[in-house]
This record gives sequence, structure tokens and C-alpha cells, in this order.
Amino acid sequence: MKKSTKKLLAALLAMTMAFGLAACGSDVEPAPAAESAAETEIEADGEQQPTETAGEAEAPADAVVINFAYDEGVGDATREMIDKFNASQSDIFVESYSLPHDANNLHDDFVNKMVAQDTSVDVMALDVVYVSEFAAAGWVNPMDDLYTAEELDAFLPGTVSGATYNGTLYAAPWFTNASALFYRTDLLEQAGISEVPTTWQGWQDAYEKVKGDVDYAFSFQGIQGEAMVCDWCEFIWSFGGQVLDENGTAVCNSAENIEATQFMADLIGTYAPEGVTTYAESESEQVFKEGKALTCRTWSGTWNVFNDEAESNVAGNVGMTFLPVSEEGDTGHSCMGGLDLVTNVWIDDAHKEAANTFIKWMTSEETEKEFTLISSQPPAVKAIYSDADVLEKIPFYTDFFAIIEAGNTRPLSPNYAEVSDAIQRNVHMALTGEQSVEDALNALQGEVEALSK
Amino acid sequence: MKTSSKKSAQERQDAKVAWLMMAPALLILSVIALYPVLRTFWLSLHEMSLKNPGSGYPFIGLRNYIEIFSDQRAMTDIVFTIKFTIVTVVLEMFIGFAAALVMNRAFKGRGIVRAAILIPWAIPTSVSAMMWKFIYNDQYGMFNDVLYRLGIIDGYKAWLSSASGSFMALVITDVWKTAPYMALLILAGLQMLPEELYESAKLDGANVIQRFFTITIPLMKRPLLVALLFRTLDAFRVFDLISVLTGGANGTESICVYAHKQLMSFLDFGYGSALAVLIFIVVFIISLIYMFFMGGDLAGDD
Repeated sequence: MKKSTKKLLAALLAMTMAFGLAACGSDVEPAPAAESAAETEIEADGEQQPTETAGEAEAPADAVVINFAYDEGVGDATREMIDKFNASQSDIFVESYSLPHDANNLHDDFVNKMVAQDTSVDVMALDVVYVSEFAAAGWVNPMDDLYTAEELDAFLPGTVSGATYNGTLYAAPWFTNASALFYRTDLLEQAGISEVPTTWQGWQDAYEKVKGDVDYAFSFQGIQGEAMVCDWCEFIWSFGGQVLDENGTAVCNSAENIEATQFMADLIGTYAPEGVTTYAESESEQVFKEGKALTCRTWSGTWNVFNDEAESNVAGNVGMTFLPVSEEGDTGHSCMGGLDLVTNVWIDDAHKEAANTFIKWMTSEETEKEFTLISSQPPAVKAIYSDADVLEKIPFYTDFFAIIEAGNTRPLSPNYAEVSDAIQRNVHMALTGEQSVEDALNALQGEVEALSK
Repeated sequence: MKTSSKKSAQERQDAKVAWLMMAPALLILSVIALYPVLRTFWLSLHEMSLKNPGSGYPFIGLRNYIEIFSDQRAMTDIVFTIKFTIVTVVLEMFIGFAAALVMNRAFKGRGIVRAAILIPWAIPTSVSAMMWKFIYNDQYGMFNDVLYRLGIIDGYKAWLSSASGSFMALVITDVWKTAPYMALLILAGLQMLPEELYESAKLDGANVIQRFFTITIPLMKRPLLVALLFRTLDAFRVFDLISVLTGGANGTESICVYAHKQLMSFLDFGYGSALAVLIFIVVFIISLIYMFFMGGDLAGDD
């Protein structure tokens, strides 16, 4: 073979090898909004492809195409709503971008995009605790002019205050969530207890009466994670404590908080399983589903799961009530969760307008009602809780509305991630007994104070 | 060995072609591998919290690094990571070596055993960590069940609720996953050992133990060090196992988990990048130490 041919072949081979290497290289950036396939980043090993666009519809020729990113926990209901919106008009076409059912996952994915000034996503479903953070970072658009005062009034007040940062509304409440105390109606009946207990002592007394039939009185989440932050906040609220006072100053090591945390820690291994310090929602629900616990504190949507014959041993014997309090007569405060809709600050005005129109539609009373009927997620619009159709399908909403109205938000802060992390680490050490409750809360107080500077 | 230090025209030509063929790969590598490292180092020299976009991300020199050394949490994590690395690598070395010695012998079904032994390694870490989390569960975990039936414990325990229990759980899971990998790397080395040496040793009257210590160990030095190098680097950078199994609770947070938290949850790209660079430097030093022990002659055929 001639030398020049050899050289050419060598170069060609080198090029092929280079392309081969590039193909095994890093992620491919998502194509512009018109493409529906994009890659998700997740923290652990492996990659995951999100689900394709809702329905088979094609975007009309001159429609503005916007991408809506949400988590798969409400995947089916959301896709149905998107299809409905697309079918109802031809100016805007919404494409779906579904992410795994994990708040941290959503957070990380959105952070990646916002930092890269990525415009491939227009509307994002953001967990309520992250709104302050995203607003402070300047990643989401203000929405003050999207709703009139009257329209805002239609929403639950807790959802609106959770979506506000520095006095401006940065997110549209989409659906909310609150925890509740699920309990075994059959056991209470068996013990002859006609009034559902409202205090911790009340539940402990009830447990003493039915000890033979259950192993534990309480099942809740004590894992070092976001779930435990919700649980801990609820415990301290039930004793009259707070994380931050009205002025936003940290009061983590107040006497009430110490009492509440000590109570929470003492329950573990006695009235609640020892493994509670490793439980997230699913593990704690498993204990209740198997009939081992008298009560279970978890999110309201679990109602369906607990009453599902196929999945739960206690189906049909489940009731729902306020979280316990320490003093008779107090109201139990549940932790509020849920998702809000925000718009990407990097998109252009045409897309922004389209996004806002879509958001307004999604948060309107009719859409939220339909969404609730399909998904059982608690809506942010107050009126739906007294709607006849909804109550027929989900009867416990009559009681649940009172629980939601009394809901509290976790501390609102642009540094929520750090605050949550501080709570997780310190409180977990108190719960496992590695540190005394006073020391742990003093350490927490120090950390939260440093963060507020 | 070349007798003249001057390269001939042919050798220069060959070298040129070699560089030409490597150039695209080197280019891609520098974009994919070198650039991110340099950029991370550049970011670590700035104060960059994504929550303060208005701060302009000022240049602050090595202040992030100084902060690491006064960060109690980072120091604790580094100590834990070193502890984890040493324990798992030593255990995996012994178990892997033993398994490799067994697989080196010819027996029926050896091929299947060699393939099957890789299954723990093949399962993605997050999946197997999830699986082991169920196994360690205090209500329905298999670990509790088996130990209880064997009479080793007298009641179900919450293994992942204590510091010692969590550490033990992490070590067991990591060894389960990676000892097979070590075994295969060591097996590859064992297969290169010439049979004649063993035969002549047998003829000279050496018993199994003597053969092992005088032939196997010295000749296995380099393959063993290569396997240990890989494992040590991986163990030091452990992330997904800890993230899924304990989330870093009970004192099991590794330095990588902390760096990830700083970067992705707290959005402090300056400090997080500094932690990442620190991990890179430590890993680099570990590699250098290993290479020193390997005699620095990786391409050697002597």
C-alpha cells in the first residue's frame, strides 16, 4: 500500500475512533423545545429516560410550544390535563417532561438547567420548600400580575404565603398536601373507645387497651431526610414550639422544642418501632399496612393505599384525623407540602406569556377539580373541598379540609436546603440517642443562627 | 533496548503517525476529562453561591480550601472515608484473593462460577443498596430473620439506626458487591503465573504454604497492587452506596456525599468545587503511592 494511502487510512481510522469515544461520552444536551425527548440526570448510577409527550397530538403549525416538567407521582393526571389543554385551543401546545417521583431529584434537575440558562423547560412543578431558594437565585419570574386579589383569595392561604418571597408572588399554587394521623377504627371500636383521641396521652392510653392486637402505638418517619423534618416540625408544633419565631429569628432550642424532641425520641423503641430512625414514608406505612401499629402519621394521599384490599391488611378499617397535640383543646398542625408552578426566567416573552396562560388554566377551579378527581391530590383551591362531586368520590375531604386549613409551612428561607440539612443531622442524632436532646438542639440553634446572617 | 539515543527517520515517522492517530482521542479526552477538572479548580477559587447571583462570584483565591480545614464536618467525613476505605479494601483483598485461588483450579462448572460471581458487581450500586436496605430493615428484613433463626440474636434489631450497625452494614454491602471484582482482577494475574515454577517447586519438596509464599505472593505483587489501586480509589470516592443505604446518617457521611450536598443542595459551587478538587488531589496522591510501590514501570516486560 502506498504511504499516502496508509496515512489517509490512519487518519480515517483515528477519526472513527474519536467519534466512537465521543459517543460513549457525556450526556447529550436536550434539543430545542420542539423535541419531546430529553435526558434526566439523577444522583445515583445509571440514566433514566423520561416518559414521552402526552397523547399522540402534534403541535399545530404556528402554536407556541412550551415544555412542562413535573414529577411522575402525578404523571397520569397531569398528562390528561395537558391533553385537554392542547385539545381546547390551538395557540399553545404543551409538551410533557416527566421526572422521577422525588423532590430532591426535581430540585437537582431544575438547578442544573437554571445554572446553564437552559430554555428547554418553560413551566416547572417545584416543591413548595424550594420556591424561596429559586426566587432568591433569580431563576423564576414574579407572578404578581397573573392573579387578581380576588383570584388569589380562592386559594388556601397557606399555599399563597408559601409561594411568596419578599412580598412578591413567585409561584402559582398547584396542589397542596398535608399529613394526617391514620388510625385503626376497628381497634378503637373493639376497645370501646367512642371518641377519637386528640392528645398524645389519649393515644397512648388507647394503645394500652389494645396492646394485645398491635405491636406499636405510633409509626412515623425518623430517617435522616426531608420526611423527618416534617415529622419533627409537627412534633414541636404540637407542644407549642416553633423553628423560627414571627420575626424569623431561630428559636430551635426553646423549652417547648426540647420537651417535644425528647418526647419524640422517647417514643422510639417503646411506643414506636426502633427502626423509625431509618423510616421514610414507605417503611412507616408498611408497618401500619401490616396491622402492626395503631396509628400512622403520613401524607393524606395514602388514604387510597391503606384502603386498597390488594395492598393493605387493614383496608376498610382505617380512619383519618388531626395529628395529636400535647394539651387538650389545642389544634393539631400538619406540615404542608405540595407543588407550585413556576416559570423559567430564561425563556423569551412569547413563551412566558404562553406559560402564564397555561398556568392560569391549570390552577383554575374546573381544572383543579378534575385533577383532584383523577389523582386524589389535595387541590390548592378552597372551593373544591366542598364540591359535591369531589366529596362523593373522596368523602374524607370533609374532615380533611379542617386539617389542611390548620396546616403550617416548614420554615421559609432561601437557605432552606441548609436549614433542612441542619435539622436532619442534629435532630437525627437526638433521636438515635447519639447526642442528648439539649446538645443537639443547641447545636441546631447555632447552625440556623449562622445561616440567617 | 535501543543502542543509539538518536531516533531513526523511520521511528520518527512512526511516532508522528502514532500521535496523529491519538490526536482525536486526546482532544476528546481533554475536553471531557481535562477541561472539567480545570474548570472545577477554577470555580473553587471563587466565592460562588448560586443563590446570590448578584454577588458577581468574586475571586477569593485559596480561601475555600482554608475553610475546608476548619470545617469540622469535612474533617469528620474524611476520617470516616479513610476508615471505610481501609476496612473494605483489606477485607476485599483477602476474600477476593481466596476466591481467586479457588477459581484458579480446574473444577466442573468453573466457567459458570466465574460468570455468576460477577452478578453482585453487575447490579447497579443504587439498586443493590436499595435491596440491602430492605434486608437490614428492622421489621421484615432478611438479615434479622436469618440471625434470629440461627439464634445469634434474640430479637430483631434496627441495624441502620446506630453508628456501628450502619458502618457494619455499609462494609458488608460493599464487600458483597466488590470482592468478586477483586477476585476477577486477581484471577487474571494468577492465570499468568507459569505452571513450571510450581512443578519444579513441588519437585524440590515445597509444600502448599511454602509454594504460596515463595512463588505466588512475590509474582502477584504487581497485579495485586493494580487491583488494590482500583479498589482504593473507588472506595475513597464512595457515593451512591452511602447515599442510598444510610443517606450519610449515623456518622457514615463520606466526603463525596458532603461535596455533592454542598454543590447540588446548597448550591455553593465554590466550596463544593474545592471539596471535589480535594478529593481529586487525595486520589491522585493515593495513585502516586501505589505507583511507587509498583516500581513505576507499568509497561515493564522484565
